[in-house]
Amino acid sequence: MMLPSDFELHRPATVGEAVALRAELGEAAALYAGGTELLLAMKLGVLDYEHLIDLKRIAGLRGVTCAGGELRIGAAVTHRELETHPDVVRELPGLAALERAVANVRVRAAGTLAGNLAFAEPHADPPALLVALGARVVLVGGEGSRELALEDFLVGAYETELGEDELIEAIVVPVGAPGAVYRKFQVLERPAVGVAAVGNLVGGVFDGAPTVVVGAVDERPVRVGAEMLDGAALDDEGAFAALAEAAAEAVEPVDDLSGSEDYKRHLTGVLAKRAVQALGDV
Amino acid sequence: MKVAGQSVPRVDGPAKVTGRARYALDLTVPGMTHGAVARSDRAHARILSVDTGEAEAVNGVLEVITGASLAPLDLRFGHVVRDHPALAVDRVLYHGEPVALVVAETRRAAERAARLVSVDYEDLPAVMDADEALGEGAPVLHPERIERTKDEGLDQGGEALVGNLCAAADFGWGDVDAALAAADLVLEGEYRYPMLYGYAMEPYNAIASFEEGSLVVYSTAQHPYMVREDLARIFALPLARVRVVVPYVGGGYGSKSYTKVEPLAALGAYVTGRPVRVALSVEESILTTRSDGARVRARSAFAADGTLLARDFDVVMDSGAYTDNSPVVCAKLANRCFGPYRIGAVRVRVRSAFTNTVPASSLRGFGAPQGNLAGELQMDDAADRLGIDALALRLKNVVRPGEEILPGKRGIDADLPADLDLLTTSLGWPNAPEGRGIGFGISASDAGAHPTSVAMVRLHADGSASAAVGATELGQGSRTVLSQILAEQLGLPMEKVAIVAADTGVTPYERTTGASRTTALVGRSLMAACADAKRRVAELAGEGAEFADAIKAFFGAGGEIIGVGAVRRHGEFRKMPPFWEIGCSGVVAAVDAETGRVRVEQLSTVGDVGFAINPALVHGQDLGAATMGLGAALSEQLVYDGQTLANPNVVDYRVPRCSDIPERLDQILAQRQDGIGPYGAKGAGEGTLNPVGAAVAAAVGRIVGRYPRELPLTPERVWRLAQTEDARV
Repeated sequence: MMLPSDFELHRPATVGEAVALRAELGEAAALYAGGTELLLAMKLGVLDYEHLIDLKRIAGLRGVTCAGGELRIGAAVTHRELETHPDVVRELPGLAALERAVANVRVRAAGTLAGNLAFAEPHADPPALLVALGARVVLVGGEGSRELALEDFLVGAYETELGEDELIEAIVVPVGAPGAVYRKFQVLERPAVGVAAVGNLVGGVFDGAPTVVVGAVDERPVRVGAEMLDGAALDDEGAFAALAEAAAEAVEPVDDLSGSEDYKRHLTGVLAKRAVQALGDV
Repeated sequence: MKVAGQSVPRVDGPAKVTGRARYALDLTVPGMTHGAVARSDRAHARILSVDTGEAEAVNGVLEVITGASLAPLDLRFGHVVRDHPALAVDRVLYHGEPVALVVAETRRAAERAARLVSVDYEDLPAVMDADEALGEGAPVLHPERIERTKDEGLDQGGEALVGNLCAAADFGWGDVDAALAAADLVLEGEYRYPMLYGYAMEPYNAIASFEEGSLVVYSTAQHPYMVREDLARIFALPLARVRVVVPYVGGGYGSKSYTKVEPLAALGAYVTGRPVRVALSVEESILTTRSDGARVRARSAFAADGTLLARDFDVVMDSGAYTDNSPVVCAKLANRCFGPYRIGAVRVRVRSAFTNTVPASSLRGFGAPQGNLAGELQMDDAADRLGIDALALRLKNVVRPGEEILPGKRGIDADLPADLDLLTTSLGWPNAPEGRGIGFGISASDAGAHPTSVAMVRLHADGSASAAVGATELGQGSRTVLSQILAEQLGLPMEKVAIVAADTGVTPYERTTGASRTTALVGRSLMAACADAKRRVAELAGEGAEFADAIKAFFGAGGEIIGVGAVRRHGEFRKMPPFWEIGCSGVVAAVDAETGRVRVEQLSTVGDVGFAINPALVHGQDLGAATMGLGAALSEQLVYDGQTLANPNVVDYRVPRCSDIPERLDQILAQRQDGIGPYGAKGAGEGTLNPVGAAVAAAVGRIVGRYPRELPLTPERVWRLAQTEDARV
């Protein structure tokens, strides 16, 4: 790892200034909202930008608000803020728990959720749970602002729908889901498999099929059909075995340092089962 | 004793925890420039030409130095074989090898320019596997072999060093074949120990300058006197005109033994006439040195009553592109693989092979963990098959105090049966908690290296004393322990003593800071120096005189008395090794059957150190070493994907973290004052690591029903082991 090449750091005061800078500088510029992924890539020489546009000092991008059954997370909000924010802890304890286990505290103190989503590193924790919760991203650009489901925003590895003159203004997450959990398996610095489950249990029986989303395995989050659990009890071994099988078949893992293809398929099944079972502890 | 035996606070503690302690990386020299290294992106290739034009054009660049540009200087270093060029001259032998050094006014300019160095290569066939490297038709890395420096007698046996054979050990005793034929049980298996990176917080770095005809180098070297020899030869300087200074070092573990970046910095200074710093990143350090991976074929023969009749080891080490320290590791692996047992017949053949990979050298444990994995797992396996308790089987065969492990060598200076009892009591053997497995093992390492150490003590007019020693402070606490010995010998409080260390221009010769030797050997040379100083005091002012009074009487004003002491291979130090370093460690582990993840819940170690001069520091060493063992047992391994490393960074190469430390730690000290060091001390710092790999593998094997044979025990490997239908092998 070396020093990154020279770059100019821009610190716009408003979202409008940031959008204007992005339009002006084009591909020579990258948005900078914590830098925990971006600067590593620049130090490794994988990415090279002449300009960085720092979003973290823009007041309009800061803060978490909770209103109208939704949590609105500004683009400059760090993982650490989410992990400790009383509204997040109260309304989405599953997200707070996920954030608490992202990387390490130094990364969490600097890195932002928006930066994480925009970088679209496949081996990330937040996307699976946010997709399962039906999160949306608010994008703002020269043409105004628009909202996209996070699931549609994430296109592939390091690839999103973010337009050339756009930036993420906020992430909007509906609250009020009865239970939302995330379980991951991690050996190296990033998760090998992460599974989010959102669902409701009434008297130990699933009220409707839970939503199950697998992250960190494929290039983007993958939904797993969990209809076999609709009406199933927490101790229904057959239904959970079917879920594990469905999850293992839903993903397309590749061999890497975290494990080979068949092992990661197996792990996906195990983690899907554990995540959904954990809804019983919520 | 007043000070020795006490866990006094580290003398360097306050400076280190407040960030004031100075490491080589903290130093600057007036006029200092910065070097950056351009590296090979080929595993094996001929260098046709190097285009430095673009790099030279970068603002701030002073020189772009290539191997060819330095002729007729001979750039090769190596304390066993001088075959390792500081910069590749006509061929590169591994991906990541230094090809050019850019010297610039700023680090930024140097790094940018280094990326612009363009090399035209002609690819050559590469060999990435050690067994293949020793096979017919493999490309030969070193067609012209360079003679050994003969600094140390290393090779055992007469195997000719041809082809890719870097080093070999071949010895034994008794009739192994007859014992195998007559045995009631013969176990046979192939085991694999990974190649490792000895992660240290401070990567390799050095500053070099030529001052008034002398080469002065500040560096992270563990063995500054060895580095001095390499530099003296490259630049044709007398030893007196090479000064290597080693301030505090941010972790060594053997990874900083011998020469690393010092020649690069010195070449930069030589060409530019300016002081040059070369400071590698962690990623570059991984491309500089690793440890030898090993493939171990082992056979053990037992009688029905558990008597260990014979052992037969055939080992191939993957030693990488250059010789470096692998011949010494080869010799030590051979001595250590069969274990501290009474064995009637032993045959050992270890071959170290050149491959087109990062060159291997020393790492904590030094050959012991590689062989111990096979040796100890076969003890556990045999115990199961013979229906004998694994502890009882070891107690039956382990050597008793004073008994020889290697014919003609020093007998064992430890009580291994007593150590095993302490360990297994701590682990609750044989009663593992529900769903858990216990694993434990033992090892003995011929430690101390060649016993050459010189110390100097200075008694000052105010009643204080300082000592000059060549030992480096790597974080292990050498300055604290040596301060304690100095204070104890002179009857002074800790506040009145000081240690000056590791400056070849000032401090006396020290062979190495390795092989767990500093407390025992430097401690003894320091004691000798204290005795010499006291003798002079008595000569000047009579027995029992205060040394301040003696100084005053002799000089009238000012003055000091100097004592020197040495340890050499003579007298009680004649027999090798100077001492045995015992490893005695065990774990209680759990396995998540669905994922294969292993969790070590308890780690127990017995530090058989003879006498703990500073028990807190011994605990630190024992825990640190065992934790490094857990790294290799569970997660650490350098992985080659074709001709390049797949994980040349500490994001993908997983070293243990605080959260990996077992919840329950039991660190036992066995203090029987049976060592050659001060007050009966022996060395520590490596021993507890050596049996950890086999212990974790045994614990996992007892849970899943078959013993693993390859480390690290990644979750996938354990999961697959549990899936295997094969009977226990």
